[in-house]
Amino acid sequence: MGKVLVFIFSLFFAGSAMAENWKVIPQESKIEFKATQNHSPVTGGFPKFDAEINFSPEDLAGSNVKITVDLNEITASYDEASKTLKTADWFAVDVFPKAVFEAGSFTKTATNEYEAVGDLTIRDKKVPVKLKFTLDDYSAKAATAKGSTMLSRNAFGIGQGDWQKTDVVKDEVEVTFTIKATK
Amino acid sequence: MDFMLRNTRDNYGSVAKFFHWLMALAVIFMLALGLYMSGLSFSPDKLRLYGLHKSIGALILIFVTLRLIWRFTNPAPVLPEGLSAFEKFAASAVHYMLYSIMFLMPLTGWLMSSATGFPVSVFGFFTLPDLIKPDKALQHFFATAHNYIAYAAIGLISLHILAALKHHFIDKDNILRRMLPWVRS
Repeated sequence: MGKVLVFIFSLFFAGSAMAENWKVIPQESKIEFKATQNHSPVTGGFPKFDAEINFSPEDLAGSNVKITVDLNEITASYDEASKTLKTADWFAVDVFPKAVFEAGSFTKTATNEYEAVGDLTIRDKKVPVKLKFTLDDYSAKAATAKGSTMLSRNAFGIGQGDWQKTDVVKDEVEVTFTIKATK
Repeated sequence: MDFMLRNTRDNYGSVAKFFHWLMALAVIFMLALGLYMSGLSFSPDKLRLYGLHKSIGALILIFVTLRLIWRFTNPAPVLPEGLSAFEKFAASAVHYMLYSIMFLMPLTGWLMSSATGFPVSVFGFFTLPDLIKPDKALQHFFATAHNYIAYAAIGLISLHILAALKHHFIDKDNILRRMLPWVRS
């Protein structure tokens, strides 16, 4: 009995010691998107998000990340576009105010390069998403993760009705991020 | 000498006529399209028409540049005898303003697109570089300028057409005929 308890405790402490919580520096972090309308890029961002990051390159199996994005704060370079993105046909922020990305599977693909597989929930759709990122300036106290992924807006129902067609607004949207965090 | 590319002392050549009528069609179409599309609510159709408007606008900017080069290396035919000093001044002033407008319309449109953060794609073949960074105040400024210059264009084009018709039907000179395609005055 005593041995089992010790074993459980040691598991618990080992886990927490290896993939500790990181704290994001919001001023130096960003999540941005690049969509395409009429063959030309439209950019914007998600300036407000929370991140729970338990990540360690030495313990990828014990790493997990949860990012919650406040969609009420979505911005686009054009005011009318920012407003439109919040409406029912797009993100419907009144009903679905948050987007959530949860990843628990990480693989190292090259030096400083990783791939995360997780689920992204936007509106009422949960879709598996793979994203690639690099880990720069990594130390025990600070790290910068930079990465991107390509999303299909129609997989989430972003752009309903007439907007579903992809001749004017393309289906593919690139999401890029820079997350700076400290411990 | 039935087919003249270059202008002569009394006649426009076919290159000048081609530029004139191509621009006439494009500019009138663009003014109508601009007035129509700006009133639409934000929709795929609106974006599609804006895309078309921007694409044609970029082509107009290229053509007006070629047209001006042609104009400067190819003097216009002389005005008919018997015009008053005021008529000569009015004709040349309206022409200068029309040329300026053909430049300023696409240029303010391009600046406005850059300031909005909606770059100009030319029919999907290539995208124009942004002249300025997205900026709300500049976007408002160039949108307002684009709008006022459009109204000025409508006024000046009306004057230009009325003057041409007056020369043809009242003065009975060759001013209108010498710009008509397939017509030798």
